[in-house]
Amino acid sequence: MKQHPLCTDPDNGPTIMDLPIAEGMKAEWAELETRRHFLGRAGKVLGWAALASLSGERMFTGEAHAATAVPSPESLRLPHFAPKAKRAIYLFMSGGPPQMDLLDYKPNLAQLYDKDIPDSVRGAQQLTGMTAGQARFPIAPSHWAFKQYGKSGTWMSDLLPYTARMVDDLTIIKSTNTEAINHEPAIMLLNTGNMNAGKPCLGAWLSYGLGSMNDNLPTFMVLLSKLNPKENNQPVSSRLWSSGFLSSEYAGVGLRSAGDPVLYLSDPKGVNRDVRRKMLDAVNEINRQTYQELGDPETNSRISQYEMAYRMQTSVPELTDMSREPQSTWDLYGPDAKEPGTYAYNCLMARRMAERGVRFTQVYKRGWDVHANVTGLLPVLCQETDRPTYALITDLKQRGLLDDTLVIWGGEFGRTVYSQGGLTPDNYGRDHHPRCFTTWMAGGGVRPGITHGETDEYSYNVVKDPVPVRDFNATVLHCLGIDHNKLTYKFQGLDQKLTGTTPASVVTSLLA
Amino acid sequence: MMIRVKGPGIKLIWAASFLVSFLLLLLPFVFRLDGKTHADWQQFLGRFHPLVVHLPIGLILLVPVLELAGRVRPALLEAAMFVLSLSLLSCLLALTLGYLLAYGSGDAGAGVSRHMWGGIALTIGVLACVLVRLTTGGVRGFYPYLLACVLLLLAWTAHQGGSLTHGDKYLTEYLPNPLKRLGGMGTVQAKAFDFPDSFYARHIYPIFDANCLVCHGEQKVKGGLRMDTYDRLMRGGKEGAVIIPGKPERSILLERITLPTDHKKFMPSEGKPPLKSEEITWIRAWILQGASQEVKSLAGIDVPEPFREEPLPQVADYSKMMGEISQTAKAAGVTLVPVSRNLGDGLVLNTVDAGQKFGDAQLAGLVRFAPYIVEAELGRTSVTDSCFATLGKFSHLRALHLEGTSVTGAGLTTLTQLPQLSYLNLSGTQVTQAAIAPLTSMKNLRHLYLYNTPAQPASITRQAP
Repeated sequence: MKQHPLCTDPDNGPTIMDLPIAEGMKAEWAELETRRHFLGRAGKVLGWAALASLSGERMFTGEAHAATAVPSPESLRLPHFAPKAKRAIYLFMSGGPPQMDLLDYKPNLAQLYDKDIPDSVRGAQQLTGMTAGQARFPIAPSHWAFKQYGKSGTWMSDLLPYTARMVDDLTIIKSTNTEAINHEPAIMLLNTGNMNAGKPCLGAWLSYGLGSMNDNLPTFMVLLSKLNPKENNQPVSSRLWSSGFLSSEYAGVGLRSAGDPVLYLSDPKGVNRDVRRKMLDAVNEINRQTYQELGDPETNSRISQYEMAYRMQTSVPELTDMSREPQSTWDLYGPDAKEPGTYAYNCLMARRMAERGVRFTQVYKRGWDVHANVTGLLPVLCQETDRPTYALITDLKQRGLLDDTLVIWGGEFGRTVYSQGGLTPDNYGRDHHPRCFTTWMAGGGVRPGITHGETDEYSYNVVKDPVPVRDFNATVLHCLGIDHNKLTYKFQGLDQKLTGTTPASVVTSLLA
Repeated sequence: MMIRVKGPGIKLIWAASFLVSFLLLLLPFVFRLDGKTHADWQQFLGRFHPLVVHLPIGLILLVPVLELAGRVRPALLEAAMFVLSLSLLSCLLALTLGYLLAYGSGDAGAGVSRHMWGGIALTIGVLACVLVRLTTGGVRGFYPYLLACVLLLLAWTAHQGGSLTHGDKYLTEYLPNPLKRLGGMGTVQAKAFDFPDSFYARHIYPIFDANCLVCHGEQKVKGGLRMDTYDRLMRGGKEGAVIIPGKPERSILLERITLPTDHKKFMPSEGKPPLKSEEITWIRAWILQGASQEVKSLAGIDVPEPFREEPLPQVADYSKMMGEISQTAKAAGVTLVPVSRNLGDGLVLNTVDAGQKFGDAQLAGLVRFAPYIVEAELGRTSVTDSCFATLGKFSHLRALHLEGTSVTGAGLTTLTQLPQLSYLNLSGTQVTQAAIAPLTSMKNLRHLYLYNTPAQPASITRQAP
């Protein structure tokens, strides 16, 4: 019987090759077939190899270790050179703190109140949809006075009385700048080196490159601070602590700001630890079979994540149990620290994680997106963050942890010197501003008590020593013993790296 | 057929050659290279020297090739003579142009005269080759040896010339380090200053070194100015002093480096990159404030210290013990991880996973690897005061964490045997002021943490001396 040409009898029917399509397409298809076939087989072979190494490991340790077909941290042989910092804490001020109200002192602005910012200063800078329609761009001087502090004589806003006490420990960068003007691309660029989602973030690169210091806790942890509903909060999502194309075991593990720090971490009633262990062994066995069949490295990530969760069942309660913290801790961090999920609580938690060998902790504080009512919102934001930040640095310092911990403070961009919306003597708003913003670092690897970079008198353009995001991240990696050009991962035909394809350089004048 | 000149002809040729050689040797004494510039036409022609100079190089190198190949194909021997004669002509041309360049543009200095004498000697050498070959009629007698000498002389002279244009470190700068050591170039002598800490030595001289010394140094002395030592710099050049202390506006040096870049007298000349504005500011301030070779800092000038990674003291090679190390560590439930990819940086002992299960006995079990461990994280383990006896053997220890342990400080004195120990954390222990008193003798111990101990509030970070 003659078959219809498009009939799909899998055994005898016509194949793609019989179809009346271009020869080039057929060739491509043939190639794809071969590759798929090869990969299928290769996956199985690799799977066997991985299983063999797994069972080998188990004989010695009685523990499962994930073996992957992709380059492991051990094979990277990192750090590239002796690091100054072993771990890092990133205090992320999501929303974009206004630099000229906090750290970038511009005394001349007072005389320019309500004058328009010169076009020559503004140049061709793109505006957000929120101010693009404004007829005027009136200069809004900072509402707060500045004073000089410390041996370095650094100017600091009255809003930050606690930060002011530790200026001599800080490495302030006034010339950080970014290319993105909206939150999502900007925060993505800071975290992953790329405005588009899908690349691994700094913490994932660090976990991948440097590995864990404590087997019982994740290498990279994320602490979200509770929202203050009065503030203008921008969403942050797990894309920001994603491992991108790296194995998902390098992604950040978030602790919740309320209730159980990790959902479903505690065993339900009637399930004891033995039962849990037996269940996990069974699940791991099934996962291993799956890996053997399909060879997907993500299966191994799954196995290692189950094991991590099992170990976290004992380590996380110990980590989050603050009952043994002495009164001096609460005196230092302030009363907010007693309430789980506050920024103060998270700062204290970050210190406890540093003590326990967590490689990278990222604390997110949202609400800095002050488009309007700066004089109403900024004091609240500073009251929430100033003292805990100071407490964290001081605490790390007195415990001898600041020597090898790098602390980073900053948002995704800065804010405009001109007012968004109406400008009154008492209040103003500030729009997003990518051309300059102020960040600081402290601790292992950076030189304390210096200010790097300068902005013009409007805090609009960088006039000296610009630090683009890629250089900022290259410098962070350097402090942790990593050459940003050497920590790469082949993906989509490119040696991907945190700092991207534009050549980046370490800002050596920041280094100790 | 061999060319062989005989009879009175050859005598005449020899006589003429001696005369030419004599004139060549006399040349530097008649037209002395006095560091002054002369006629523009000389410089115009002279600047063809770097082009023409490659002709004799190529031709002379071709001669031995032809002489050797002539053994197989005799016709090439004839060509060798022809090429040798061409070499002589091109040598004379290159020498003339080179001399015009040096004389016209006022070049002088040790490197210039070495290159000059090399060129003259080479020309005479090639002339001698021609004569000997003509006289002996082929590759005979001492002609091959003479030719070999000429080739060596050629290499040396060419190298001198290259060093003049590119600087004398050009060739060896990227030489692989093992080869450098082999050639005895591993330890490049740092320049000796009378006042090595001065602003001049640290900030001004390096600017000159990077931008000026190629033409105003020992090797080449343009305009009679040498800037390679402070005394010579202050002596100035043929136009007199180039630096007038306290008077930057009257100092020729500053004037020349601040001219418009397309000005004829702008320095650095010949299209080399101009000085950075920061460097000019430093030079101006240095001259204004007395151009001293002694002062350490200048008012109003804050020079960021150039970033320099302190080299870490290295531990001995333990690469053969790697297997043993990781097995022992695994058995003790701890990790011994390299500080970095460079194994010489040492190992970090990390006990966080073992916690209280790690005690004095486990520490003692690692003592074999003690000389390789540079950092011991013993915080919150169950080690006691007896650990100090063991830790005394950790000869390369740089950082020691004992926070949250039950040590009281008895036996702490042992730590004074550790010369590199710079970080010691005793927070949350029972150590007392009396127990830590001996530590004051440790001059490398810069970070001592005593938070939450009876010895508080002396929780200090000692400043580096």
